[in-house]
Amino acid sequence: MVEVDDEVRLVIPAEPGFLRLARLTAAAVASRMGFTFDEVEDLRIAVDELCYFLLGGRAGLGAITLVCRIGDDGLDVTGAGSWTNGAGSSATPTQLPELSRRILESVVDEYECDGDSAAPSFRLLKRRSAA
Amino acid sequence: MSLDDGERAALREKFVEYARTRDQSLRDELITAHIALAEYLARRFSNRGEPLDDLVQVASLALLKAVERFDPDRGLEFSTFATPTIVGELKRHFRDKGWAVRVPRRVQELHLQLSTVVATLAQELGRSPTIPEIAKEAGATEEEVLEAMEAGRAYRLTSIDAPRAGDNEEEGTGIAARLGDEDERLDNVEVRLELSPLLESLPPREQLIVHLRFFEGLTQSEIASRLDISQVHVSRLLARSLQQLRERGELGGASFAE
Repeated sequence: MVEVDDEVRLVIPAEPGFLRLARLTAAAVASRMGFTFDEVEDLRIAVDELCYFLLGGRAGLGAITLVCRIGDDGLDVTGAGSWTNGAGSSATPTQLPELSRRILESVVDEYECDGDSAAPSFRLLKRRSAA
Repeated sequence: MSLDDGERAALREKFVEYARTRDQSLRDELITAHIALAEYLARRFSNRGEPLDDLVQVASLALLKAVERFDPDRGLEFSTFATPTIVGELKRHFRDKGWAVRVPRRVQELHLQLSTVVATLAQELGRSPTIPEIAKEAGATEEEVLEAMEAGRAYRLTSIDAPRAGDNEEEGTGIAARLGDEDERLDNVEVRLELSPLLESLPPREQLIVHLRFFEGLTQSEIASRLDISQVHVSRLLARSLQQLRERGELGGASFAE
């Protein structure tokens, strides 16, 4: 776990149209941390990929909470889906497709995700290059 | 645009007659009678960087299509039928221009500028520039640069072979023309085997870019210099490819594709 200095929290409706806010927020935090254009681009791809994973065709997923933590090691982003009216109990768990995994492996340093039906979530770490 | 019942009934009769006879002068009459609707909708899309005249023209052509397709027997008001057609054409017009409707002009311009700025700075610094460095060079704020990066996604999914307006740096002659020799490499059996079947739904050149980025681990800048296109363009093509893969179910969240 990275040491937490600062944190930005965003809650958005679980709809694709709001994912740009997730991408923008993560990019803005990364920019403040001095990430390069390349790294910010990578981060945007990863956040997009993992947020889509949270959506995962789940009807009734109400909101996504995105937390960007500024650590010594890099930027740590977690995302969690929450349900409206307990809809999650009937949802089916999802898995990250192979191509998504491939993409994530090449754009972030660490990632994990849980397609658990009751509380889908992800976490990623993007380290800053030693410029 | 509000018509009284008498006018409405008269128009309906004309539509019935036009559906039967396909008489051109009748068609023109029907278009004239509804031109205000086209103009009204065109104005709704003004102040988004396109001349109103062009928008009116687009809307009028859509109106013409709507008149030709309208079936008065289905009991729908013509305006109810025509409005989605006209709005659809107006939106398509903006997309054809390369931008989704909601991207502000300032951000569009900055996005187009990004290619040059990022390339120049990368050369000067010998590394990928940071966002504040790009902002300073472009005379913009960091937030504007981030918005401009995000704006790359607003690009319409055009054919890679099509020339693009307003970004003459690398795209004016069509991207395909610039990729030439690299295509040969993509036909390489080895590469194809590895990509198949995950990426086969993408056009060959985008398969190459996705392959280089995610399978070979090249950075966007490295791909850009290898293919002799700008990094911003690589970014845009990657975003587009991922969107296409998502729509085709290769990535997560397929049923929610943007």
